Amino acid sequence: MRTCHPVRPQRPVNMAGVAFRRLAQTFCKGKTPGVSAFLPACRAASGASKGPVLGPCPETLEEKAAAAKKYNLTLSDYEAYPDKGEGYGDYPKLPDRSQHERDPWYKWDHPDLRRNWGEPMHWDFDMYIRNRVDTSPTPVPWSTMCKQLFGFIGFMLFMFYVGEKFQSYQPVGPKQYPYNDLFLEKGGDPDKEPEEIKHYEI
Amino acid sequence: MGAHLVRRYITETDTEPDPSRKVEIDPQFGFPERKEREMIATQEQMNLAQVPLQQRDYCAHHLLKLMKCKRDNWPNFLACKHERHDWDYCEHQDYVMRMKEYERERRLQLRKKRIEAEAA
Repeated sequence: MRTCHPVRPQRPVNMAGVAFRRLAQTFCKGKTPGVSAFLPACRAASGASKGPVLGPCPETLEEKAAAAKKYNLTLSDYEAYPDKGEGYGDYPKLPDRSQHERDPWYKWDHPDLRRNWGEPMHWDFDMYIRNRVDTSPTPVPWSTMCKQLFGFIGFMLFMFYVGEKFQSYQPVGPKQYPYNDLFLEKGGDPDKEPEEIKHYEI
Repeated sequence: MGAHLVRRYITETDTEPDPSRKVEIDPQFGFPERKEREMIATQEQMNLAQVPLQQRDYCAHHLLKLMKCKRDNWPNFLACKHERHDWDYCEHQDYVMRMKEYERERRLQLRKKRIEAEAA
């Protein structure tokens, strides 16, 4: 792995990367072992390593068996994504279950993610970690929740409608205000003669 | 409680007063001499005191006295009990008058309907 060979030279890269690779190559060509020992690898760090590169979507049973072995799965557990050109390749289609559903008391290799080392990873694993999507069963079915929520909202809307149609009020007359029901104070025109309103004691 | 709502919406829908509708009734009807309500605080006084519009009613002079007393006795919030009571009592009387006006309108409507029924 520590040999100096250019990785995919046909791929377009930016000039800074090219300059860096040339610099690294010049270092690697030198006979002094010290310099190359300090450089971890002369491969560009931006590309994917060989391991995670997806293969083509498996068709035959042998291809499937090879893909299952590649992803640490038994053949019965392996199921590829349908080949619809979405770029899934031979990646296994794992069940859409969140990590929250997993046993919290088991000694996971990574307890926070509830995941063992080398375990195949869901394509959307980051979506199903414990503080994101939770697929664990709800206390009541989804339809019941919908019925309760929309039933309540509908009932409240109906009751608001009823309250709007049949308004509740105290059995008193309108409040009486002096000065022609505060004609000037409510923004009436001072030049206009307001309609005279008289209130009487009762 | 709520008897007027039952009358308004169920039993006497035609005679129970509707607050959204203004019915013209002669204010002097049935009274030998009816006294006009007297406003004591002037518009200028209320403007200077910056009284909110909702409180510029026929009890505003009591409110002005109460606010003045509160201001002069600050921070003794226990003072001004008498001024507070005067204003509250005036507002209570105002509310009772509104209740009476409502009942008057209701009875006059009933009377009108009865007379019309007898005439027919």
